[in-house]
Amino acid sequence: MSRRLLAALIAGAAAAVGCFVWSSWPPPSRYAPIEISFAVVGLSYMVAGIAAWQRWPASRLGLLFSIVGYLYLVPYILINLHNPVAFTIGYLTETPLYFAALAHLGLAWPSGRLRSRFECGVVIADYAQLVVFSVAGTLFWNPAFSGCNARCPANVLLIGDGSRPAWNTLGTIGEYVGLVISGIVLTLIVLHWRSARGWSRRAMVPLLWIAPAVAAETVLTGGLGGLFNFSDLVRYALLPLVLLAGPAVFVISTVRARTAGGALGTAIVDLEPGASPTRLREALARALGDSTLQLAFRQPDGAGYLDTSGQAVEVVRPDPGRAVVPVAGSDGAVLVYDEGLRLEPQLVKLTAAAASMALEHSRLQAEVQAQLEQVRASRARIVEAGDAERRRLERDLHDGAQQRLVTLSLALGMARDRAAGADPELGLLIESAGKEAREALTELRELARGIHPAVLTETGLAGAVQALAERSPVATTITAVPDGRFPAAIEATAYFVVSEALANVAKHARAGGAQVTIQSRPGRLVVEVSDDGAGGARAERGSGLRGLADRVASAGGVLRVDSPPGCGTRLEADIPCP
Amino acid sequence: MQPAAAILIVDDHDGFRAFARGMLEAAGFTVAEAATGAEATEAARTVRPGLVLLDIQLPDTDGFEVARRLAAAPAGDPAPVVVLTSTREARDYGGRIAASPAAGFLPKDQLSGAALRRFLARDES
Repeated sequence: MSRRLLAALIAGAAAAVGCFVWSSWPPPSRYAPIEISFAVVGLSYMVAGIAAWQRWPASRLGLLFSIVGYLYLVPYILINLHNPVAFTIGYLTETPLYFAALAHLGLAWPSGRLRSRFECGVVIADYAQLVVFSVAGTLFWNPAFSGCNARCPANVLLIGDGSRPAWNTLGTIGEYVGLVISGIVLTLIVLHWRSARGWSRRAMVPLLWIAPAVAAETVLTGGLGGLFNFSDLVRYALLPLVLLAGPAVFVISTVRARTAGGALGTAIVDLEPGASPTRLREALARALGDSTLQLAFRQPDGAGYLDTSGQAVEVVRPDPGRAVVPVAGSDGAVLVYDEGLRLEPQLVKLTAAAASMALEHSRLQAEVQAQLEQVRASRARIVEAGDAERRRLERDLHDGAQQRLVTLSLALGMARDRAAGADPELGLLIESAGKEAREALTELRELARGIHPAVLTETGLAGAVQALAERSPVATTITAVPDGRFPAAIEATAYFVVSEALANVAKHARAGGAQVTIQSRPGRLVVEVSDDGAGGARAERGSGLRGLADRVASAGGVLRVDSPPGCGTRLEADIPCP
Repeated sequence: MQPAAAILIVDDHDGFRAFARGMLEAAGFTVAEAATGAEATEAARTVRPGLVLLDIQLPDTDGFEVARRLAAAPAGDPAPVVVLTSTREARDYGGRIAASPAAGFLPKDQLSGAALRRFLARDES
């Protein structure tokens, strides 16, 4: 809203209320509450007009609120001017016109525009009947009928001395016609409410508070007022205050709507990382106050758009009552929202920006996740390739050097036997050469076993762990180990956990005994090695545990080390196993 | 002295086969050779050795499988004494050696005519 319009609206409201107070000053003491009540109600609609203009510049709601405010106060100003013409015009417009404007406001809610020709007709008929009956009644109204004797200016439209029956009859007919039209207006408002969805429905909530209040006020101060025998104070000072409900509810809803931008931020912050488009849609819909919000994505084959529930969405020519905004930076994502939200272009823009950020975030996260998966897979492949290479090396040693050393050692044995009789010295020499060859063979076997345990390839985990336990210098019990075979990478990982753990027990733990338990559980293999030694082992100390944790992680598993000082060490590797 | 039994050496390593043949023939045995599991079962049928010196690591199958096939020879045909061998140690094979129908395991570097005779003698007793 421009500053000039704002200044004009504020000046107009101040002038209207100022004139009202000036024209009725000094009020007779019994009228004072009534004057204050009128001033407050009139001013409240003008303030609501300013709020509506601020909130929805594109809507005519602000104009209608302002019109109601002026139509409410101006007649009283005119009446109080004590000028016959102004008095007559004031009397003509006193009650009825602001009421027609209220009906107009209700039917045009929230865009300020009437929805159909029929509704235009209803509003025009409402204004017209009020003017017609008012003018007609005024022709027969002698101010004296209202107990307004010499104090009042003359009714310039009065015919003769007037006619109380004609004035009364016209007034009654006017009231009935007004009731019928009010009924139609209320019915139409209910129909609007029922057909509204999403944001538009929420935007109608203030109206649902206003309409019954206005209806109640009309009924009580109008024809039915007589039934209740209200005092003038109640009837003219307190009941009109019911009309305050309209501006009050609207202003409150405006203040709450101002927090929608903040709600948007909260909604995005609250979204967990990598939230699905469905969750994103829900969060945006909540923040926007439009339950019908759809987040739709262009199909890769170009065959239209699908929303998060898989429904086809018409984006090029949206359905009636729907509007579309593209989500910037996304690959063909759009938001389809309740058309009523056109009144809140800033909020829609913010929502699209929030959606764009969230989708971008999800995309980046998916990218990082994919890269992480690639890194994980390549790490596992590297470890597996390393294992395969070690197996090959062990096999090569076995087939090559070990084989030759065996033959050599056998040949030396035979040579020694033959030489022993003829040349004992040569025999001793060959004997010592044979001993060297056998030691070389033993060392080579140990080397090969360190590179890759043949027993693991040959017999699987059970045999290999048994062999480890037998070789361990610390007494080692195997409480459980599954007999079956597992994928080579998993067997190798489990084997190295036990091997490294037992080596650590021997080197650092000063333990009396160790225990190995391997259990096959659904989807995983759990390897546990515990000892009764000194404890205090920590994976981050750069020990073999760090490398072991890496090794377990390469198989997608987790290594847990529980090693309180003085209470032994418990190592548990939890390895996923298909 | 009893006539020396025929020995079937099953090993894909030519050098070892040649050497073992020399050693065992010198010790008085008749020797036949096979380089693969398939050749071994065929030779066992034709040669009918008293003892098969069976390398565990073979190119087409492994010694355990060949030992099973030899043990499952038709009834009435006395199955040969099967001695598994390897450049590796027995413990590298865990419980597999004990579980196989072979008479025992002899590390290759301890091969001698005397060692094989002990297996044969154990079988006769």
